[in-house]
Amino acid sequence: MSGKKMLVVWGVLLGGIGAVLAFFGNPGNMAFCIACFVRDMAGAARFHQAAVVQYMRPEIIGLVIGSFGISLVTREYRSTGGSSPMIRFLLGIITMIGALVFLGCPLRMVLRMAGGDLNAYVAFVGFVLGAATGSYFLKKGFSLGRAYDTQKVSGYVLPGILALLLVFSVMTTLFTASTEGPGSMHAPAIISLAAGLIFGAIAQKARTCFAGGIRDAVLMKNFDLLIVIGSLFVAMLVYNLAAGAFHLSFAGQPVAHTEHIWNMLGMYTVGLAAVLAGGCPLRQLILAGQGSGDSAVYVAGMFIGAAICHNFGLASSGNGTTGAGRIACVACIIILLALGIVCKREKK
Amino acid sequence: MARIKTEKVVITFHTTTQAMYMEQCCKKEMGEGRLIPVPRQISAGCGMAWCAPSQARLELEQIIKTHNIEVEGVYELLL
Repeated sequence: MSGKKMLVVWGVLLGGIGAVLAFFGNPGNMAFCIACFVRDMAGAARFHQAAVVQYMRPEIIGLVIGSFGISLVTREYRSTGGSSPMIRFLLGIITMIGALVFLGCPLRMVLRMAGGDLNAYVAFVGFVLGAATGSYFLKKGFSLGRAYDTQKVSGYVLPGILALLLVFSVMTTLFTASTEGPGSMHAPAIISLAAGLIFGAIAQKARTCFAGGIRDAVLMKNFDLLIVIGSLFVAMLVYNLAAGAFHLSFAGQPVAHTEHIWNMLGMYTVGLAAVLAGGCPLRQLILAGQGSGDSAVYVAGMFIGAAICHNFGLASSGNGTTGAGRIACVACIIILLALGIVCKREKK
Repeated sequence: MARIKTEKVVITFHTTTQAMYMEQCCKKEMGEGRLIPVPRQISAGCGMAWCAPSQARLELEQIIKTHNIEVEGVYELLL
């Protein structure tokens, strides 16, 4: 099978996994969302107290372990680190703030688009503009510096911690879980874990990246990554149409608000942060699984960012954004633009 | 109709920025080639690589040396 056809197959499979998770009980238009699920995990571990979004999501754990496993099998695992880790930590926090102002990561944005949520189309414009801004900075010499090989074991740490979290979540009552709201809606743990594992392995093989797709189109006129995402969108669209879950509207969409400017700016923040960091939230989890310590630090930033969002009232809800969230979103954009200008390639 | 694969020289970089710098330098020095996503057979990463006909290898290596471009690897592949 040709490379392009294979990309379509990968995308359809990823969409199919989303459909399975939606069918088995994950929240509406939130079959798989990196930002929302990391936020749920932070809540389950009591990093924040928002009672409706607490659940140790096996999908995220599976995603990292799936990528870790496949990269070991195919000998693509490579433990690296040292590319401005604290800036990456900050980018992880900023990504989470932007995502929770919009209410979703780029993956959920595409799933919401496939469910007919017009707010996600508005956000998509912001995401493309953000990724294009990041691409502009790359063209102008933006760099966080190169990564270096590290001790092989370094890359085992995040998958190891996540595996422990999974064991504790299944065997003990250490973690809390929502009894109402999005955190209470989930597929059976075994299905979620299997879905995460397969999704992680496929995303590693297909190098799926939402921000990378836009970056490659802007900088190289290469549309390979967008083929995967487009196929994922079509697969979820077909599922939603077949399941009667497609509702074309702005209002009344599940876990979404209709504040256009903030939907756009939230995803502008995510798109820009993702290109500066070298990958969207999904891609960061996959890279962390295949040994990138820098991406693992970014993931830790997302985890802390989730706690910040809910502890300080930055996260939006179905009722709309918050004043603090709007201020934080603008502040994040200013920080990102400053980073884009300041962090330049070292001249020899 | 399927495109016929030919021998190419593929240069990979530690950072996207170095790849962009390579593009700038090649434009300036009339070096052959273009940016492509790093071929899957080289790396699982999602960075950019410089791709040119294999006969351009010496010319490109000279550009890399002149402009101090930090290169990760140079490969010859059928692409």
